[in-house]
Amino acid sequence: MEKECDRPYHCPYGGILFRKVSIIGLVIFSSFLLAAIFSSFLSPCDPWDRFEPYLPPGQDHILGTNDLGQDILSELIYGSRVSLIVGFGAALMATTIGSSIGLLAGYFKGMADEILMGITDIFLMIPQIPLIIVLAAFLRPSFWLIALLMGSLWWTSTARVVRSKALQIREMGYVQSKRSLGFSHLHIIVSDVLPNLSQLVMPKFLLSIASAMIAESSISFLGLGDPSMKSWGMMINFAFSRGGFINGYWWWYMAPGLCITIFVLSIVLIGSFLEERDESIMGQQ
Amino acid sequence: MNRHLPSSSYFRPLLCIDEMYVSFDTSLGRVKAAQNICLELHERETLAIVGETGCGKSVIASAILQLLPSNASVKGKAIFLGRDLLSLGEREMADIRGQEIAIIFQNPSLSLNPIMKVAEQVAEPLQIHRRLPRHRAISKAEDMLSRFKLGDKASPVMYPFQLSGGMNQRVMIATSMILSPKILIADEPSKGLDQSLARQVMKELAGIKDEIGASLLLITHDLLLAKEVSDRIAVMYCGEIVEAGSSAEIFDEPLHPYTKALLNCLPEMGFKPIPGSSPSMIDPPEGCRFYPRCRERLDRCLLSPKMIKVESDDGDREVRCWLY
Amino acid sequence: MLSGKKATRYAIALFLIISLNFFIPRSMPGDPLTNLLGEDISLTASSVQELRERMGLDRPLSQQFLDYWHDILRFDLGYSFHLHRNVSDLIYDRMKWTLLLSLPAMVMGAILGTLLGARAGWKSSALRRTQTGFIMAIYCAPPYFISLIALYLLSYKLGLFPLKGFYSTGSALDIAHHLFLPSAMMTLFSLSRNYMIMKGSVLQEKGSLYATFARAKGLYDEQILFRHVFKNALLPIITLLALDFGFILSGALFIEIVFSMNGMGSLIYDALLSRDYPVLQGSFLIITIMVVSANLLADLLYSYLDPRVRWQ
Repeated sequence: MEKECDRPYHCPYGGILFRKVSIIGLVIFSSFLLAAIFSSFLSPCDPWDRFEPYLPPGQDHILGTNDLGQDILSELIYGSRVSLIVGFGAALMATTIGSSIGLLAGYFKGMADEILMGITDIFLMIPQIPLIIVLAAFLRPSFWLIALLMGSLWWTSTARVVRSKALQIREMGYVQSKRSLGFSHLHIIVSDVLPNLSQLVMPKFLLSIASAMIAESSISFLGLGDPSMKSWGMMINFAFSRGGFINGYWWWYMAPGLCITIFVLSIVLIGSFLEERDESIMGQQ
Repeated sequence: MNRHLPSSSYFRPLLCIDEMYVSFDTSLGRVKAAQNICLELHERETLAIVGETGCGKSVIASAILQLLPSNASVKGKAIFLGRDLLSLGEREMADIRGQEIAIIFQNPSLSLNPIMKVAEQVAEPLQIHRRLPRHRAISKAEDMLSRFKLGDKASPVMYPFQLSGGMNQRVMIATSMILSPKILIADEPSKGLDQSLARQVMKELAGIKDEIGASLLLITHDLLLAKEVSDRIAVMYCGEIVEAGSSAEIFDEPLHPYTKALLNCLPEMGFKPIPGSSPSMIDPPEGCRFYPRCRERLDRCLLSPKMIKVESDDGDREVRCWLY
Repeated sequence: MLSGKKATRYAIALFLIISLNFFIPRSMPGDPLTNLLGEDISLTASSVQELRERMGLDRPLSQQFLDYWHDILRFDLGYSFHLHRNVSDLIYDRMKWTLLLSLPAMVMGAILGTLLGARAGWKSSALRRTQTGFIMAIYCAPPYFISLIALYLLSYKLGLFPLKGFYSTGSALDIAHHLFLPSAMMTLFSLSRNYMIMKGSVLQEKGSLYATFARAKGLYDEQILFRHVFKNALLPIITLLALDFGFILSGALFIEIVFSMNGMGSLIYDALLSRDYPVLQGSFLIITIMVVSANLLADLLYSYLDPRVRWQ
C-alpha cells in the first residue's frame, strides 16, 4: 500500500514496479516477434484465402472477415511479419547511418564535426512523414523502399547521442595514450569506441523500430503502402476505405490498431528501462 | 577571534543530538556513516565538528534537517526546543528549515539556482515563511546583500553564474541569515576558497551571527579555522566522535591519539602524516576504529571504548579512549 | 540574438529544403512533365507542347532552377490541373482551417503536458503512475487510430458530435461543436509527447543541489518544483519540443482525414489519390517552412529565456 507521500526524495522513482513493467514489455515484444516468425503455424488460415465477406467475429473466424472474405486474425498474424520487418529494416538502417555519422563527428571533431552536425540539424527539421508522402506518391513503392526512406530520415537522434559519447571517449586518458603510442584511428575506433556504443545505441535502436512502425502504419493508412503486403497499417486503411468504419465493423481496425499500440508500448517500456539503467550506471561512475 | 565563553553549562543546550546513527544503503553495501553521535549545541555558541574528508561530519549536518537522500536511514534523536527533529513530518520540517535552523552547503555555485536572480533567491525565505509580498521581500534581500558587500559590485539583478565562488558563498549565507535563525549549520564554508577569502567570509559570518544571537554548527576539515572561530570542538573519526571540549583545551592539551596525530599534521607542527589509510565505512575495524593506526594502542583497544567525561576547567570535556 | 553560426544554419536549411523541392519531381522516374503537372490529366498534343514550354522544360536545368526560385519568391507554387486553381490559393484556404484546428490544441497540449509531466516526474504515486500509463498508451498509439476510436464511440455510436466537416451551419457555436473532438484528439496527442519529455527532464533536474538547497530554505514539496525545478527542466527541452512541432503537425493532417475535415490533411489526401503533384509539393514546401520557422522561434525563445545565453 502506498500513500501519497510529500517527500519527493523519500519516494524512489519506480523501483521494483518499474522493473516488473519492463519485463512485461519484454514478454510482449518477444510474443510479437515469435508471432512474426511462426506466422504460418499460429494463424488459422492463409490470409489470402477467401471466405464469406464482412463476417462478424464468430466461431470459425475469431476476428471476422474483411470485405474480400479474408480471415482477419490470419491477416493480423501475418501482418506482424510485414510491420516488424519494415520496422526492423528502417531501424537498422537508421541506427547504422546514425552511429557512423555520430562516430565520425565526435571522434574526428573539427570541420567534419561541423559539417556533419549541420547536416544532422537540417535533417532533423525536415518533417518526415510529409516528405515520405511526397516521395511515395511519385514512386509507388514496395515496402522495402518505405523502409529505406524511413531509415534515411530517422538517424538523427542516434547520431547526436553517439557523437557525445564518442567525444567523451576520445578525451579519456587511455585513448589519448594509445594515440600517442601510434595506434591508428581505425584501431582505436574498433577496439575502444565501438564496444562502448552498443549499450547506448540499443535503446535508440528499439525506439527507432517503434517510430518506424507508427510511420509505416501512417503511410499505409493513407494508401501509400505496398498492397501486396498486408501490414497492420494497410489493414486499417482497408477498414477505413472499404466500408469497415461506416458499417461499424470495429473489430477490423481495432485489432491491428491495438497491435501497433501494444507493440510500440512494449518497446517504449523496454527502451526507457534501458535508458534509465544506462543513466544510473553513468551516474555511479 | 578567540573566544572564551564561561562554562557552557551556564546556557541551556539549544540542540541536543542523542545517539544518532546514520547509514546508507548502497550497491556496495551498507555504509555506516555516523555512529552513536551525542552532541550539544548551546545558545550563542559556535561548535565545530572537525575531521578528515569522508569521516561523516557533513552527514550529521544534513541528517539534523532530514535532508539526506532516500537511501539513508537515521536513528536517534535531535531535540530542538523540546521537539525531536528526526520524528517530524516534512511539513513541520519545512517550517523549521530556513526559519529556525538554516544550513549552507559545500558548493556555493551549485547550490544556487543558476537561472534565478540572486536577490530573488535571497528573498525567497521571506516570501515562503513570512509571506511578504514580492517587492518588499526583494528590497529586504537587497539590504541584506549590501551588508555582505554585494550591493554595488554585484548589483541585485545579477545571476549566480555571473558571480565568483566567494560571492555566491556570501549569497548563500545571506539567504540563510535573513530570517535570523537560531542555529546556522555551515558545511565546509571555506572549501574552494583561498585562505584570505575564507577568513574574510568567516569574519562576516561571525559578525552577523553575533548580531542576531544565533548558534553556529561549523563543519570543517580546516583545524586552524575551527580554532579561530569556535568555542568548542568535536573531533570525528570514521563516523564517531572521539573527543570533544573547548577549542583552547583541544589544541593545548589533546587527549585522544587521533587528535594528537591530527594536530601533528599541521604545518606548524611539522606536517607529520598519520600512518595508514582511512578505514572503510562499510567494514570498519573491530573495536576502537583508530586501533590500526594508533601509536598508543593497548590490547584493550580491541573492544569499542565508550565516551568518558574528563575533568576540565573550561566546560565539558569528553574523550572516547581506553587511555583515560 | 542568434549566433551567426546558427542563423547561417537556418538559412542554409531553408535554402536546401526549397531547392530539394525543385529536384524531387525532376529526379523521379517518368516524364518530368507528368511529374510536374500530375497524372491523369487529359491534354491534347498541342497543349502538351505549350505546357512543356511554359514549365520551362526545354530550357537548361540551371535556368529552370532560377525560374523556380523566382516563382517561389513571388509565392507562386504552381497550378493544380486537377482542381483548376493556383496551388498557393488552395493552400491558403485550407491552411487557415488546419491552423484553427492545430494551434490551440498544440498550445493547450504543451501547457498541460509540461505541467502534468513535471508533477509526474517530481513525485510518484499510484494515481500518477496510472496517469503516466494512460498517457504512455496514447503516446504509443498512432494518432489516427485514437481518432478513429473516438469518432466511432462518440460520434457514430453516441451521436454526441458531428461526423464530419468543419461546420454545418457556420455559426461560431457550430464550428466549435465540429472542432471539439478533433481538437481534443490533437491536444491529447500533443500532450502525450510533451508529458513524456518533460517528465524525463524533471526527473533529471530534481536531484540537483539547488533543489536540495531550496528544500533547506524551507520550501515544501511542489513549491520547490514550480519555483525552481520547472523552469530549469523546461529550458533544455524547448528545442526538443519545437522539433516535435513537425511531428505533431503531421498528426494533425491524419486527424483531419479521419474526421473528414476540409483542411490541409484532406487536400493532401485527395492530391495523393489523384496524383496531383503540384499540390503535394506545394504542401510539403509550406509545411516544411512552417516547421523550420517554429524551430527558429524556439531557438530565439530559448536564447531569451536562458539568462546564461542572454547575458553572454
